[in-house]
Amino acid sequence: MMRIEPWVVLAFCSTIFFIGFAGVLMRRNIIVILMSIELMLNAVNLTFVTYSKLLNHMGGQMAVFFIITVAAAESAIGLGLVIAMFRTLRSVDTDQIKLLRE
Amino acid sequence: MEGLQTIRPELLSISPEQLSALRPYFIIFGGTILAMILSVVRWMNPKWPLFILVLATLFAGIVDSFRLVPEAPLTLFNAMMISDGYSHLFNIVFMASAFFTVMASFRYLDREKLQYPEYYLLILFAVLGMMLMVSAQDLIVVFIALELMSLAVYTLVGFRRADRRSNEAAMKYFILGSAASAVFLYGSALLYGSTGTTGIKEILSFIQTHPTSMTPVYTLGAWLVILGFLFKVAAVPFHMWMPDVYEGAPTPITGFMTTGLKAAAFATLIRLLTSVGYGKGLSITLQAHLHDILWVSAVLTMILGNVVALTQTNLKRMLAYSSIAHTGYLIVGIIAGSGNEMGYGPVVMYLIAYAAMNLGAFIILTVLSSRDDSGLGLHDLSGLSRRHPWLAFGLAVFMFSMAGVPPTAGFAAKYVLFYSAVQANEIPLVIISVLCSAISVYYYLRVMVYMYMRDPSGSPSVNRIPVWSTLGIAAMVFLTLQLGLMPGKVVLAAKKVASSL
Repeated sequence: MMRIEPWVVLAFCSTIFFIGFAGVLMRRNIIVILMSIELMLNAVNLTFVTYSKLLNHMGGQMAVFFIITVAAAESAIGLGLVIAMFRTLRSVDTDQIKLLRE
Repeated sequence: MEGLQTIRPELLSISPEQLSALRPYFIIFGGTILAMILSVVRWMNPKWPLFILVLATLFAGIVDSFRLVPEAPLTLFNAMMISDGYSHLFNIVFMASAFFTVMASFRYLDREKLQYPEYYLLILFAVLGMMLMVSAQDLIVVFIALELMSLAVYTLVGFRRADRRSNEAAMKYFILGSAASAVFLYGSALLYGSTGTTGIKEILSFIQTHPTSMTPVYTLGAWLVILGFLFKVAAVPFHMWMPDVYEGAPTPITGFMTTGLKAAAFATLIRLLTSVGYGKGLSITLQAHLHDILWVSAVLTMILGNVVALTQTNLKRMLAYSSIAHTGYLIVGIIAGSGNEMGYGPVVMYLIAYAAMNLGAFIILTVLSSRDDSGLGLHDLSGLSRRHPWLAFGLAVFMFSMAGVPPTAGFAAKYVLFYSAVQANEIPLVIISVLCSAISVYYYLRVMVYMYMRDPSGSPSVNRIPVWSTLGIAAMVFLTLQLGLMPGKVVLAAKKVASSL
């Protein structure tokens, strides 16, 4: 069986994290932005699990439970806000968000 | 399975002292649960009982926290939390800020036809999140408390559901805030990876005993954690969200955000900075690095906040930029904190003074705003001294205080802060800060010019001033003048609680 080196996993995590970060900054559709935020949080989860395995310490895996829960609450709030915005704005495009810019 | 063996019997029990130190949290939590039950009853209108319950909860919490401020530090829940003077002093700030926000909101919600019980619940949840965040001793607890606070506040910002501006502000805040939380979390994952713990004190002690483990991963982790919080306090270059969110949010919530949220973010930022080793003299490179970046950020924040505020005509937006400028002064205090005898005391003092004056200003803006939260342009203030002489007086006191004119809280706080920076030998920084606060006098005094020297324009409406708001404004005027005339007690208390960090 082939052993996967830890640094490969960690590099993978950071790649996913920065893909998510770039998505938040560059994409224009709010649903895609919410997905990018989830991507960032899941990259963090994977990092915690990897380190937990590396250090042989359970704390990291416990942290993942909490992060998953909070991420669920966060996407619930986010989708609620998207719906509220869609009702008044009729769009989920961030380019339409310009009322507040003077 | 080494983790399972570390469960010790003392973790499953709780001593009377610990229970007593946790009482403010239980009061707020219990009040929240009661309010939740009360808000779904069908056989009566929950408006008044709920309002009284929320005020009573917050008041009980404030009184209880005053008892705990002088107590010795006590770790709770296997060192996940700490109960010390620092956290309890800030708890008082958060609860007082929520208390006066609720007072100011009551008639506002009636007027805007938004009188839903959820509003009060979300405020209580946000307060609970702030209280937990400032007493947390573990990065994961910080994250959970941060989200408890932020998720409640995102919803409060978007509370005017039918209003486009409010929705846009909430969305913007949500996206940027969640991204910042994720960045913070990634930083804590990296810190965990390089030190094997997420405890704030443990990270520091691990680094002190194993100086070789200061790897690039550790440095990157420390950076990401601090960047996440620099976003929350809206330091340049992470300030873009603040003016938009402050303008779009319901006016009382904007007041709550400038006081409670800002104090919570700064209090936790100081805890985190001390945890990653800032000011403890462990690695000169990291120290100098952190110092330089904070220095640049402070200067940019002060200059940008003050210069852009000059051109604003909307009061809420102007106060948002002034809030960015005040973030800059506070970062000056943080830079100086590691090199003077007062420690972070001046920052604590400044946050208290800033909370008092800003909360007062936003209660007045809530009263003055016309329906749909509009009517807060500078022109709408024309001749305010003739329509509402007392409101004009109150706003004048707060504006003088923000500009730093004696004998107000703003002056005392700025004096202590800049003095500590001089002691820490940050002379260029102090010169820039003082020049920036001289610029700021222009836009604060312009408000006064409109209030006292212009004739009323158009058909000035005379708003009825709700009695709750009057009480809130009077309390804040009193506090602002009190802190300005006799700051000694608060300065000493701030110094004392900050020295225990």
